[in-house]
Amino acid sequence: MLRFVVRRLLLTIPILLGVSVLIFVWVRALPGTPADALLGERATPADVVEFNQRYGLNRPLYVQYWAYLKTTASGELGTSVTSHRPVTTEIKERFPATVELAVAAMVFALAFGLPLGFFAAKKYRSPVDHGSLFLSLIGISIPVFFLAIILKYVFAVRLGWLPTVGRQDVLVNAEHPTNFYVLDGIVTGNWVAAWDATQHLILPAIALGSIPLAIISRVTRASVLDVQSEDYVRTAHAKGVPPSQVDRRHVFRNALLPVSTIIGLSFGILLSGAVLTETVFAIPGMGSWMKEAIFNHDYPVLQSGIMFLALVFIIVNLLVDITYAFIDPRIRVS
Amino acid sequence: MAATHVEDVALEPEAPTGGLWLEAFRRFRRNPAGIIGVAFVGFFVLIAILAPVIAPHSPTEQNLQALANGCCPGPSRDHLFGVDELGRDEFSRVLYGARYSLVVGVLSVCVGLSIGLVLGSIAGYLGGWADTLVMRLMDILLAIPSLLLAIGIVAMLGPGLPQVMIAVGVATVPIFARLLRGSILGQREADYVLAARSVGVRRRIILTSHILPNSISPVIVAGTLAMATAIIDVAGLGFLGLGPQDPATPEWGTMLTTADRYIATAPFLAFFPGLAIVIIVLGFNLIGDALREALDPKLRRYD
Repeated sequence: MLRFVVRRLLLTIPILLGVSVLIFVWVRALPGTPADALLGERATPADVVEFNQRYGLNRPLYVQYWAYLKTTASGELGTSVTSHRPVTTEIKERFPATVELAVAAMVFALAFGLPLGFFAAKKYRSPVDHGSLFLSLIGISIPVFFLAIILKYVFAVRLGWLPTVGRQDVLVNAEHPTNFYVLDGIVTGNWVAAWDATQHLILPAIALGSIPLAIISRVTRASVLDVQSEDYVRTAHAKGVPPSQVDRRHVFRNALLPVSTIIGLSFGILLSGAVLTETVFAIPGMGSWMKEAIFNHDYPVLQSGIMFLALVFIIVNLLVDITYAFIDPRIRVS
Repeated sequence: MAATHVEDVALEPEAPTGGLWLEAFRRFRRNPAGIIGVAFVGFFVLIAILAPVIAPHSPTEQNLQALANGCCPGPSRDHLFGVDELGRDEFSRVLYGARYSLVVGVLSVCVGLSIGLVLGSIAGYLGGWADTLVMRLMDILLAIPSLLLAIGIVAMLGPGLPQVMIAVGVATVPIFARLLRGSILGQREADYVLAARSVGVRRRIILTSHILPNSISPVIVAGTLAMATAIIDVAGLGFLGLGPQDPATPEWGTMLTTADRYIATAPFLAFFPGLAIVIIVLGFNLIGDALREALDPKLRRYD
């Protein structure tokens, strides 16, 4: 097990280095130089030379890359050109918003996707089954932002059940020690704030969770159908194990294995979808931040933000792989 | 001495199957889901071609009188889908939008497919260091969530439809490259390749008429499904404002951006372009699933 984890960890290092090279090259290929962006139009050529000298932009590229790698590794991510605040400070505020949203979306997707897939398989070729297939087909065909707009219109604008935008009502008095708003409310014992933050999460989470929900229900269904025809299930039935127990202990548990890999895969979809969901619901998370950074030509934010998200994505996939190997011993051997 | 009697059975040649593709086509034709998919996509292809004939108005023509009573008048006899915030006929705009979504979606998949095929074949056929190099590069691209990758590329190239097309295409490259490489590797060691080699079929023939047709079918399936994702991603980039910079362009994703602003008073402005995206994407997904079953009947077990 330890060998597997170490090997898997070592494999991520070249990928991380590759991503850093890619981002380094990419930033230098963006239109406009940092000097243009920061000094403005009235800068004299002498100013530009001085600026490049100061920030080391006249050094050879490999020297610059090494310096970039060193500062990034030490957690120094630069300052946003638009907000003039350190990128790390902004990430501390915005990343929890995106994580909160992604986790809520995943919880929604699992809570509905697993039972839907399971019962569809149990009632194979029944209306329930066809319904679930149809639903999952719609789920992968509907753009996240369109679903978000519909949900916002129906439940927020029309029915007024839930708030339309943001993470918390401005009138709610709340402290934010962790920046995970729901958690903050619970930690500080402020139940009004926690409930308010939860209400703000519901619609974005449903919109964002629709694709993972569709994929999870589909995979669960196929997986349960697969496992059901295994010899050990027949044996369990033959020796008189109650059907509900066969379902729970023999079928469902084994059927969950392929589903667990999907969760890691879905995380990338969640990060991508978060950009759109956060835009529709005006949530100040990583996604909407990246989008604004493009329009503002905020290169420090883009560079560190994408590097950070790629890092998170790699770590999540690493964790999923390790968990998978932990659950299924067969993986460790191969 | 009883000689072993060998019965003289005339070996009836089986009716010609018509080959892999005709077989697949027959299976596809029998699948109602696939037919519905073809109908959906075909419907929009027709709309895209015939837009100037069907559309009652120009997609950019502004009828400011329609806005006399505020924004925005809903569906009526003159304007089937209502009028947008600038007095343009929403119905005509949705019709013309089919052109952008279809063309950009198809072209971006072509971009991704062609680069991916070349890289995948190089990795699969050559193996060795070329394989390692290409695949590590793909791993790096896959480490960045696809929409973010596309956003990054658009940031580099500047906003606009052709740029969006390239960005969405490049973001699909790793999928195709990986798929074809894996597929080629899997086929290279297959028994039928060994059989062909043992009876002396030439290498080139093995490659072109044995390995490639067997490796390409998952790529075709993935290509169709990628078309669905590409249309969603193109609309998504348009929704973020990275699509066509001329606001008069009736691109569905871009139309949804403004519709989102008027959602309280004119929900129909969001509903129709959104529905169009859902139907066309659904069409490609249905075709992709049906193709998968038609091309690889082994997979057809539970659907």
